[in-house]
Amino acid sequence: MKKATILLIISLVLVMILSACGTEATETAQAPEGETQAQSGVCTEETTLKILAHQNPPMVDFMTKFNQDFMAKHPNVTVDMSVVNANDLSTVTQTRLTANDVDIIDIFGFANAAQPYMKNVTPPNWQTLIDAGLLADLTGQEFVKNYDESATKDACSYNNKAYCINLGRVSYSGIYYNKDLFEANNVAVPTTWSELVAACQTFEAAGTPCMTAGGKDGWPIFVGAYGLIGSVYPDQAALVQGLWDGSIKWNDAKSLEMWEKMKVYAQDMMESGASGIAGDAAPGRFASGAVAMFPGGTWYGSAIEAAQPAFDWGYIPFPGSDNPDENKYLFGKYDQGWAVAEKSPNKECAMLYLSEFSDPANYQAFANAVGFIPTQPGAMLNTKIGQAVAAYLANFRVGYEQYWVAPKGAGQYANPFATYFKPFGTYDDPQELADKVQADLQSGLDANQ
Amino acid sequence: MSYYFGRGNSKWIPYLLLFPGLLFYLVISLGPSIATFLYSFTDATGIQGAQMNWLGLENYREFLFMGQASRDNYSALGRTLIFCFFVTTIQFSLGLLLALLLNQGLKGTKFFRTIIFMPVILGAVVQGLIWSLFLYPLGGPMARVLEIIGLESEFFGGQPAEAFAWVIVVQIWANVGITMVIFIAGLQTISAEMYEAAKIDGANGWQVFRNVTWPLLTPSINTNLLLCVIGSLQAWALFLVLLGYRNGTQVLGYLIFAQGFGQTSGSVTSSFRQGYAASASIVLFFLVLIIGLTLQTILRRREEQIIG
Repeated sequence: MKKATILLIISLVLVMILSACGTEATETAQAPEGETQAQSGVCTEETTLKILAHQNPPMVDFMTKFNQDFMAKHPNVTVDMSVVNANDLSTVTQTRLTANDVDIIDIFGFANAAQPYMKNVTPPNWQTLIDAGLLADLTGQEFVKNYDESATKDACSYNNKAYCINLGRVSYSGIYYNKDLFEANNVAVPTTWSELVAACQTFEAAGTPCMTAGGKDGWPIFVGAYGLIGSVYPDQAALVQGLWDGSIKWNDAKSLEMWEKMKVYAQDMMESGASGIAGDAAPGRFASGAVAMFPGGTWYGSAIEAAQPAFDWGYIPFPGSDNPDENKYLFGKYDQGWAVAEKSPNKECAMLYLSEFSDPANYQAFANAVGFIPTQPGAMLNTKIGQAVAAYLANFRVGYEQYWVAPKGAGQYANPFATYFKPFGTYDDPQELADKVQADLQSGLDANQ
Repeated sequence: MSYYFGRGNSKWIPYLLLFPGLLFYLVISLGPSIATFLYSFTDATGIQGAQMNWLGLENYREFLFMGQASRDNYSALGRTLIFCFFVTTIQFSLGLLLALLLNQGLKGTKFFRTIIFMPVILGAVVQGLIWSLFLYPLGGPMARVLEIIGLESEFFGGQPAEAFAWVIVVQIWANVGITMVIFIAGLQTISAEMYEAAKIDGANGWQVFRNVTWPLLTPSINTNLLLCVIGSLQAWALFLVLLGYRNGTQVLGYLIFAQGFGQTSGSVTSSFRQGYAASASIVLFFLVLIIGLTLQTILRRREEQIIG
């Protein structure tokens, strides 16, 4: 009886081990059927199209509606869209591409490529994904031609091939302002740094916080101050090169001007408690009339309108200089794009999806919903935010963050972040912070000599 | 001597029975650990199909000796030890106190035991959400309390030292339930006759605790100390959920995640440096190994002296 029991246990264990082999054999046996599905038609067989997107409420709302329409048109297709926080997008993208568990991915415009003057830097993640053969080459696809050649070249190309379609540019160096509050307090729209400081003092005296941001997500507070970098260094590609070759330092006289203004921004302009506001909640807080201004990207325009359609607001470049002529630039980046997973079993269906998305009428609706600066020729800036930035588009420049790659060995402070100042950080003295930032950067530069 | 499984071929039965468990351990635990060790000598990105090059000790050189970044890593190591010290001492003491209170057979014991243990099963994301709401700087409960006494704080978004302290609080809140339950289990193995005998001998409450409860709780003490120390040295999830990549707050466990998944630069196109992160994780492994083995040796000797 004892021996029988032991033999039974061993048999059960062997069955468990062998069942794994059986599963693999079953999956292999199913492969030919999958191949037949791909050959018989595009999006005509039972298919689940998996899409990964980052959290941007107006974009997610639009895509949800687009997906419903796509599924209605292609009844055998189920579109399964996953939405993650922007901070987690690259991590989840890597995981799902590696697991071959996604067909279409949301990818930001290609940036932070290694430049010839940079030593010993690692390639950005989009380049690694392409070199690993995980992103499909879209060169030659008809729908790619719907987009500006320059946008495709700047934001989606690598080694003369296109690997994504870029859906729009955004500016992140502007300020939304509450027109009603400005009028009620008799404050003119600031065109210079001094006017901005005075405006904030007026609002604070009236008991209204001057600015807010979604600081809980980390980046919104310091990105809100990027206009201050631009006011001192309008050519930000040159800034990055200068930092690398030593001709520009974060603690020279010009940079110190920037740090002094960042201290004012962090301590006197940004409301207390901003670091606890979620990124998605900040537009609503601004639209509620709780604060006078909201330094943020053009992608927030649609969310503000959705929160309070009757709310009257405007958008201006961050006036970081006392020379109004230096405050006419908008700094930003190529924002969201779509790419196709090279190993997707539904590649043709994914291409059809992008083709229908890229239809000019649909793209116009998308640009209107999200507030991007369009990357399709012929698409109009029909939105309120689009009309607000139209006058500055000729002065649109790609921002510092899109060029910067830190040298290995650089310290954690080697960045122009306003959040290093109290109450968000530990620094109070601009010179002390400037010296620390330069020292952290220099440490990396010296380590790679 | 009799052989349970007999002689001859039957003697292989215990090894066959152990084999599935061993295979599971090799695949799930030891295998990935060995792979991590090997990856630490490469520039692995974790991206399938990406080229991987052998770097030798370069990752370790960068982590330990290269520029200000290496000094920042030592700071993270220091913060890891500080985190471990405070979490262990407070969680251990609080867990013991709660166990002693809830082992009195008072009314509501089961209710309070459940309430205290509940955070353990919530997971880091829910734990973080609860505390983010509680510590919401614009009118959250704690902000209102501070307002009454004329203070304000950014809590998790403010001074790094304060943010770090709050993570310690959350870590303790999230895990004190386990410590308490282990101590309760230990207290319930102590025979009531021991307490009666001590009282008959005229021992007061403190003497009973010191001479009866504390020595007989040795196995539970050892288990809780090891769990607290090792768990806190490896902590990272709450740092991700509550703080993100904030200067002056990272511990080694979170730094490994941030480096491995491109969270360090603030840009969404940051590189994945999983080879480098693997080297950091090996450093953390040796830290945990040295501290864990030392602690275990001390505790085992103490247990032998007390219990025999």
